[in-house]
Amino acid sequence: MTTVALPRARRAVRWDSLPPLVRRTILLMALIGVWQAYVSITHVSHLLFASPWQTTTTLWNDWTNGSLAGPTWETLRILLEGIGIGIGIAIVLTVFATLTTVGSDLLALLTSLLNPLPGVAVLPLAMLWFGINESAIIFTIANATIWPVAINLSTGFKTVSPTLVAVGRNIGLSKLRVITDVLVPAALPHAVSGLKTAWAFGWRTVIAAELVFGVAGSKGGLGNYINNARLYLITPRVFAGLVTIAALGVVFEALFGALERRTIVRWGMQTS
Amino acid sequence: MAATATDRVSTPVTAPPTGAPLLRLTGIRLGYDTDAGFHLAVDHIDLNVWPRERIVVIGPSGCGKSTLLKAIAGFVEPIAGTIELAGSRSLEPGPDRALVFQEFDQLFPWRSVLDNVAYPLRINGSGRKDAAKRAHEFLALTHLERAAHRHPHELSGGMKQRVAIARALALDPQILLMDEPFGALDAITRQRLQFELNRIVEQTDVTLIFVTHSIEEALVVGDRVVVLGDAPSQIVEVVDVRSLGGPETPEYSEMRGRLRALLAVEREEELER
Repeated sequence: MTTVALPRARRAVRWDSLPPLVRRTILLMALIGVWQAYVSITHVSHLLFASPWQTTTTLWNDWTNGSLAGPTWETLRILLEGIGIGIGIAIVLTVFATLTTVGSDLLALLTSLLNPLPGVAVLPLAMLWFGINESAIIFTIANATIWPVAINLSTGFKTVSPTLVAVGRNIGLSKLRVITDVLVPAALPHAVSGLKTAWAFGWRTVIAAELVFGVAGSKGGLGNYINNARLYLITPRVFAGLVTIAALGVVFEALFGALERRTIVRWGMQTS
Repeated sequence: MAATATDRVSTPVTAPPTGAPLLRLTGIRLGYDTDAGFHLAVDHIDLNVWPRERIVVIGPSGCGKSTLLKAIAGFVEPIAGTIELAGSRSLEPGPDRALVFQEFDQLFPWRSVLDNVAYPLRINGSGRKDAAKRAHEFLALTHLERAAHRHPHELSGGMKQRVAIARALALDPQILLMDEPFGALDAITRQRLQFELNRIVEQTDVTLIFVTHSIEEALVVGDRVVVLGDAPSQIVEVVDVRSLGGPETPEYSEMRGRLRALLAVEREEELER
């Protein structure tokens, strides 16, 4: 056997060998560089395009003086209320669907009709019913949340291994404890994926609804903040609002990822 | 004395069962609904099981041997007949008849190996410390101490089945029920676990009812082998195999041949019908 002398690799740092976080940071910096370069070179109107620097200073100022922090917390509060109500109703529907055939048929029908509907599509109706206020937004978010959560939960309960349920009864669990100690944890992977979808749908819906309300002249929320900035041509604020939305998206993705790693990944229960 | 099904084999090494039976099955008839309508699985079974016996139930596929085990466990109610365990007839599913399944997913994936064994003990009234201590004992018995803090998905199939056995035995059942527990394992692991099961059963003095469709497994594990016919099944024969030597002895080969013939004859009759 002969050894083939390979040409010695140059000692440059190879992209693939860098840790993902470093690779992403480098790419992010590069993109910000391109953004800054575009603004500096083309001298695009400041009324239309904010530079990274302007965006950063606006972010810093508006977060420290509360004019961006306030609307952000407002949006998150409305979002959590809407998702909370949505999940609550989804759980009731799922229990009903798990216990009765009528309930199961009803849930299948409702989800097939309402799940494909973009969440924000029911906003006009919600405005008719509740007026231009946060109740209308919460209703819209709840509607966007119920269906994906209910679908996932009922799939989760239906796909629990019958063997595991039999084991639960064999070791002496009461019917109630079979539900809490076997069915619920066994359905957790589906519940988590339902929660992720609920978050994604709700987040899009709340921003869209607030933007619409901004046009209609109401107050509060991130959508409003962005829309007002557009109205007064304070373009850096539009950018700052968008960056905030993107950053929150990243943070929540990370939280869900951590939740999954501590539970279903650790237990080898991840689906797909 | 007339020859009965139970004393065909000469000079049993272990003493034959005396005293009152632990489990008494009388006129058991079992069936269940399927998509194609009602299926009568077991026509008529009478069987007594004495304490510390190892009963193996063997029969062709679909003969109702698993259904029989589920009935003893309390999951299936007989259409006719009575099941009496230590004098009691109202049998809900419970840990006094701990069940080991064939499926690897019988462990709780969200609990560690230790907790899979300890949690059923806590459910049945043990304190947290006592449950953990007893769980460790039974993990030691099944050679699983090193895996105590792993989760089920990190175990091999054979290890998962050993955890299930440890969990069932830790509950101190009156009868240990096993439904083809080694059916999904490779041949080598299967053989190892059969011998390990024998050792464990000897150490714990547990009464065992073991369902299988493997003649070799029946001969290795059983004291008495209950042969069922095709569905709707009856007991074709009960043979005592406790005095058999190892696989190299002529008695063993003879018995294996006899069980083969019993099971094969039933198949032919099935084909003729």
